[in-house]
Order: sequence, then structure tokens, then C-alpha cells
Amino acid sequence: MTKYLIRRILLSIPVLVMITVIIFALMEVAPGDAVDYFRPPDLVMTEEATQALRERFGLDQPAPVRYIQWLSNVLKGDLGYRFTDGEAVSTIVGRRLGASLLLMGTALAIGVLVGVPLGVFIGQKQYSLWDFSLTGLSFLGISMPSFIAGLIALLIFSVKLGWFPAGGMRPVTSEPTLWTTLYHLALPSVVLSLGFIATFMRYSRFSMLEVVRMDYVNSARAKGISNRAVTWRHIVPNAILPVITVIGLSIPALVVGAVFTETVFSWPGMGSLYLEAVRGRDIPLLMGMTLVIAIFVLGANILTDVAYAIVDPRIRYD
Amino acid sequence: MWKRRLTLAILLSLLLILTLVPVQAQEAGGGGTLIGAFDVGPGGAPKVIPFMDTAGRTWLSKIWSPLISWNEDMSALTPQLATEWSANEDSTVWTFKLREGVLWHDGEPFTADDVVFSLNLALNPDAATAFPGFSSLSREKVAAITAVDDYTVQIELTEPNPRLPFFMIFAWVLPEHALRDLNPAEYQTTDWFFTTPIGTGPFMHEEYVADQYWSLVPNPNYWNGAPKLDHLINRYFADETSALVALQSGEINFTYVSGDVFQQLQDSGYQIYDGPSGVTNYVIMNLRNPAFQDVRVRQAFLYAIDRQAITETVLKGTATVVPCISPFPNMWPDASELNDYAYNPEMAVQLLTEAGYDTAAAWELVTYYSSQFHQDAMAAQQAFLAQVGINVVPLAQDVPTYNSYFYTGEGWDLSYRGVGVNYGNFPFNFYEPGGQPTTDGEPLQGQSFPELLDLIAAARVESDPDAYLGLLQDICKFQNENALEGYMWTAIRYGAGSDNLQDFYWFPAAGGGPYEDHAELWSVNQ
Repeated sequence: MTKYLIRRILLSIPVLVMITVIIFALMEVAPGDAVDYFRPPDLVMTEEATQALRERFGLDQPAPVRYIQWLSNVLKGDLGYRFTDGEAVSTIVGRRLGASLLLMGTALAIGVLVGVPLGVFIGQKQYSLWDFSLTGLSFLGISMPSFIAGLIALLIFSVKLGWFPAGGMRPVTSEPTLWTTLYHLALPSVVLSLGFIATFMRYSRFSMLEVVRMDYVNSARAKGISNRAVTWRHIVPNAILPVITVIGLSIPALVVGAVFTETVFSWPGMGSLYLEAVRGRDIPLLMGMTLVIAIFVLGANILTDVAYAIVDPRIRYD
Repeated sequence: MWKRRLTLAILLSLLLILTLVPVQAQEAGGGGTLIGAFDVGPGGAPKVIPFMDTAGRTWLSKIWSPLISWNEDMSALTPQLATEWSANEDSTVWTFKLREGVLWHDGEPFTADDVVFSLNLALNPDAATAFPGFSSLSREKVAAITAVDDYTVQIELTEPNPRLPFFMIFAWVLPEHALRDLNPAEYQTTDWFFTTPIGTGPFMHEEYVADQYWSLVPNPNYWNGAPKLDHLINRYFADETSALVALQSGEINFTYVSGDVFQQLQDSGYQIYDGPSGVTNYVIMNLRNPAFQDVRVRQAFLYAIDRQAITETVLKGTATVVPCISPFPNMWPDASELNDYAYNPEMAVQLLTEAGYDTAAAWELVTYYSSQFHQDAMAAQQAFLAQVGINVVPLAQDVPTYNSYFYTGEGWDLSYRGVGVNYGNFPFNFYEPGGQPTTDGEPLQGQSFPELLDLIAAARVESDPDAYLGLLQDICKFQNENALEGYMWTAIRYGAGSDNLQDFYWFPAAGGGPYEDHAELWSVNQ
């Protein structure tokens, strides 16, 4: 297992470099640069000044030079500065990553804790009223765009009922506490979790229905083992394996964030930041975020493989 | 006896309280906490610092003061840290008298040295600020900036600039004593502006939480009187809708709102603040394309579109039709000298036929506008033009994409766009050869008009305000007569505030002004 892990980590390094090269190249071929973004079309600005800004940002240098410069700075631990306001990329990404992890982590946890048990439950009651109702709701959860769900939730629970704040991460007139954080987190995380709940529920249900028909389950029943024991000892542990894959694939969302939900709830996470970076042609920010996200995704894939080995004793990597 | 003494004591106490009341009113605070989304909308720009701003000046002016600002409705300049200003005969030497007795937030006195330091920093190529881009100044155009005495600054220019004070609204004044050791190359990356900023504005920095809010407390030494508010907070929102929801849920007291929601808010008891955007929306036609070189085609373009109907129905009365590039009526000549190009599709067809316009041709109408307001307006333009045989296809692009090619004069035939125009800042360089980085060196539109160039040359050096205004009116007349561009409308912009705001003032100045809003008088009924 250790050898396998080392091999996977070493293989990840060229993959990481390739990802940064591709993203950098994509930004290069995209029309316009940071100065074009900075210059509002409604305002009259002299060409000399825009050129001075271009030199200030180093955008007058050829693309390969800028990429190599960026890479060598990264190796020294310097991710550079955001073009638009001069803030250190490492500071912004650190701050936004924390916000995204909190929001997406909570939503994912709700999704797992609610979605998987519900899927297991209706997986045992195929074609029942419960099955039809929850399956129907899961379609709604998967198909409803999160920004629509977010706006509806805000209008009902914030504007009409006043139960939850209308966005933001913390109060502005007092210091944040655990309670105020949970208070601000509740609405966006529940809205985001709807999609996770629906997805995990459907996968769990499907997996349960697959396993419940297996020969070893029939054998267990034939031995006279109680229904509960068959379910929890034989069906659920086997049915949960594909669900772990789906959960593992959702882990990158923790760092990628959720663009629309973050925007609607003014939650300063990675999703909205990525959009800002692309819109502003902010190459240092975009490259810094890409690097962090790529490391996280590659790490999550390795962790998922490790989780397989732990859950299923048949899987061995050495 | 004790009763008399008690009565006397009560009366004296009451007298003491009454005498204390006005004293308390003069002190800072007591007016509650005002939370606004000051950087939502076209005039806003979260997290900008002085001299790097292209917008967001409404908020910047709460901490830092410029030398001069617009007055309340942008009709004239008004003193801020400079109390008066004058020029020599050819407008090459400008003298600014400064306000005496002004203190920085840390108690240090404000002097002419601070102004000299700030302007030199703003013009320093190493700092690469946006100031030269907006102020029409550059290091080469400034011969010297001198502190004549503690309260007088002189700016010597290498060429006449009769409108210099209008660019001094962008001249924020920073404290030399706090920033003299700052390396200009680190101007944009220093965190000083968000951790320990010092200004002369009505409010002082309290706390900045990135991506969340910026909280200020009143400056008791503010030269125009101590502010009434206890706290002034700018909350950051990702978009206008999020800010609107926060306003409706009572979490904030003010935000910018678009023209399609202000009516609904007004009916719900919110206070509405409105004013002209100062931005003219127009369709620029690329005269490098032979199809638009004939003035009859350009006139047909204007006759074909019912601009009045679009402003009344599609834009719901939130815009007014303009006759030329200037959005303000005082820059227009008398109506009798202008063609109103009233909707006349028959005339449009006749002009197009006379000009031999090819009605089979189709042109992209590119824009950087993404709002529903402008998308609806462009759809209406497309429909009206199609009726007379001018086929256009609206195409929205993001700002960097649009800017990357538009100013070269290549890659576009028609563009629906906006330009901020005011008395002091007229886009002369759009019409002059070399004024924009076009590939062929021609003006942005692709063709020079000698009569227009003469008017511009005269206006650039005219120092008499009335004569200058007359020249702007002549330019307007020329543009209107020649249908130089497809002049559409100028929009009204809106802000909405909760009903408990007292003496609050907001004006939709382009880029956030700065303008005189008397923030020291604002308060919130708790």
C-alpha cells in the first residue's frame, strides 16, 4: 500500500504541471487581459496609462516567460498577487478555501447523513408509497437549479419569515461565534445539500436493489438469519461500496465550491472566486486556484482508493 | 425649606441636561448604524484603493477626501480639501488654496506637503496607478508640483489644461507622514489601506473583513462637522439581487437598484434616490465599413428606431432620449437647432433607397452590456431596424473580450455601448486621429471630420467657461446634424433606502463621483 501511495503521488506531479500548462494556455488564447478588464468601457482612459498598467502587471512579456516565472515563484512558495487589487493569492485562496470547505463540507455531510439512509430505506421498500414519494422528490432535488432553490429559500425564510440572514458569512455588528456561523450557514448549506441528498439517495437505492437480489443474500436468508441482520451485515456493507465512489467523486466540490449558491447567498467561497478570476483574466489568481484545486482533486482520488481497500478487504494494491 | 431646595435642585438639573443636549448633538455618534451596499451597481467597485479606482468613489470618499468633488447633483465642482483654485492666463500654472485646520484621523495636521506627496505618488510610473489614465495627466505633462506654503499648492503643466480642476476630483490626498517610506512599486500590494488607513474624510477605519464588510466610525475632527452616525458599514454582495434581498429583509439600509425594481420598492415604502447616470448609450457605426459612410444611412438608422417608445415602454420611463453624445441638456444647443429624428420609418426607407443601401446585408451589433435593461433595448432596436431593411444581430461579450479589439477599430461594424460624459470630461480623443490605439491611426470611428476637429481643438484650450460650453453645444449640433453615431438615450439610475434613514443622500454619479453627499448629517432612526 505504501509503495502504491508513493507511486500515485509521484505520478501526480507531471499531471499537476500539465493541468497548470493547459489552464495557462487557455487563458492566453482567451481574448483580452487583466488591463482590458480593468478599463471600464464607459470611462475615457488614455492609451499610455493602459500600457503602463500592462507593463506593471508584466503582461508585456511573452507567455512562456510569464509561465516559467510563475512556476519558479510557486516552487519558492509564492503564488503571486491578484491583478485586480494586489492581494496575495495565497491569502485569498486560503480564506476562500476555508469558506468553501465549511459550506460544501456541511452540505456534503447533510447529503450523506440524510441521503444514504433514505436510499437504504426505500431500497428495501421498492414500489411502496415511500419509494414513489422520495424518488419523485429526488428528481426535483436533482433537476432544480441551485440558484432558483436559493432565491426561493431566501424569499421565504429570510424576507418573509425573517428566520435566517439574507446572505453573508457572519454578522457585521458583532464578532462571529459558533452560533452566528451556524445561523448564516444553515440556509445555503441546506439548499446545497438538496442535490447531494437526491443523488446519494438514488445511488443507495439502486445499489440496495442490486445487492438484495444476490445469491449470497438469499443464502443468508435461507439460513434463517433475521431480516435485520441480513440487511446490516450482508446487504448494506456491499451496497455501500458504489456509494463511496459517488461520495468520493463529490469531494472535489468541497474546494471547487458552488458558483451560483455562493453568489445568491453572498458566500465568499471558491466558486464565485473562480468566476471572478476568469472574468477578470486574473492569471495569478486563476493559476493559484487551479493548483490548489488540482492538488485537492488528485489527493481525493488517492484517498478514495485507500477507502476502497479499507471497506472491501478483497481490494489490495500491493 | 427642604422642599424649596429640592425644587431648585431639580430645576438646576433640568437646566444642566438641557444645556448638555446641544453639546452632545455636536459630538460624533448617536445617529445609529447605517449598513449599505455602497459598492453594488455601476458606480461601485469593492476593495479599491485611492488612485487605483475606476469606480467605488462613493465609499472611498468616506475615508479619504479629494481636493475637489462634484456638488450634490454633479452640476458644478465644490471645494473639499482645496477651498479655491485659479490658473494663470494660459492655464499652464494652477494654484490650489488648501483648507486650514484639517486633521488626519491620527491627529496630525494636513498640509500642502501631503498634496504634493499624493500627486507625485499617483503620477509615479513605478506605482502604475490608474490616476494618469483618468486625469489626462502624466509625469510628462506635469513640470512641477510645489508646496508654495503650508496651505498652497502649485501645479505647473507643460501644456494648457483649462479643465484641470475637473480631474482633481480623482486626486485623493494621502498622509505623507504615514506613507513616506512606502516603496511606490508596492503601492498596490500594501495592506495599509485595509489595516491602518488614515484619511481626512468624515469616517475612520474600524474593521475590514475581506469579502464581507468594511466598518467605519465617525471622525470627531471632520472639518465639515462630526458625523452623527455611530457606525457606517459597507457590506459586500456578489450581485444586485443579493443586496436587494438583504434590503428587503431589513439587514441593510441602502443599495443600488435597477430601473425595473425601483417602482415596486417605492410602492412598498422605501425611500428612492435617483439621478442621471451621466452615461450616454449609443450605437457607434464603424465608418471603415462603406455601408455606413453615407450620412443618409446613419440618419435612416435614427429615423428607423422609435427611441421615445423604447424609453417609455421597454425601459419603463427610466431613460431619456439624447440628441448627441452629451447626456446633459446644458451641453445641447437650443432644440430649434437640433433634428429630433422622430420615428419615421418611411423616411428611413427613402434615405436608405437614395443611398443605395444593401438590405440583404446583416451586421453584428456587439456590446459588453449583459443586463436585462440593455438586452431588452437591443432587441427592440433590432426589431425596429429590421422593419426598414437594416439587419443587425445583437452579440453580448464580456468586458475584456470587447475591450481587446474594440479600440483597435477592427473586428466590429456596429456597437451598442455607453460613454460617461460631463462638462469637465468630454471624450474628445474618440474623435481625434491617434486618440485611441486604432490600427490605422484614424479616430475610433474610422474617419476624421475637419469641422469637428476644429471645434475640439478650440474647446481643448478654451478657458472661458461660457465659451467652452458654447463649443460643446456646437459639437453636439455637428454630431446631431451628421448623425455621426446612433445616439439613443441616457438612463436614470436608482438607489433604495429603508424608511428610517434620515438626511441620507445618494446620487448615481459615474464611478461613484466623488460628489458632496454630506455624510456627516446621515443618521438612522433606531
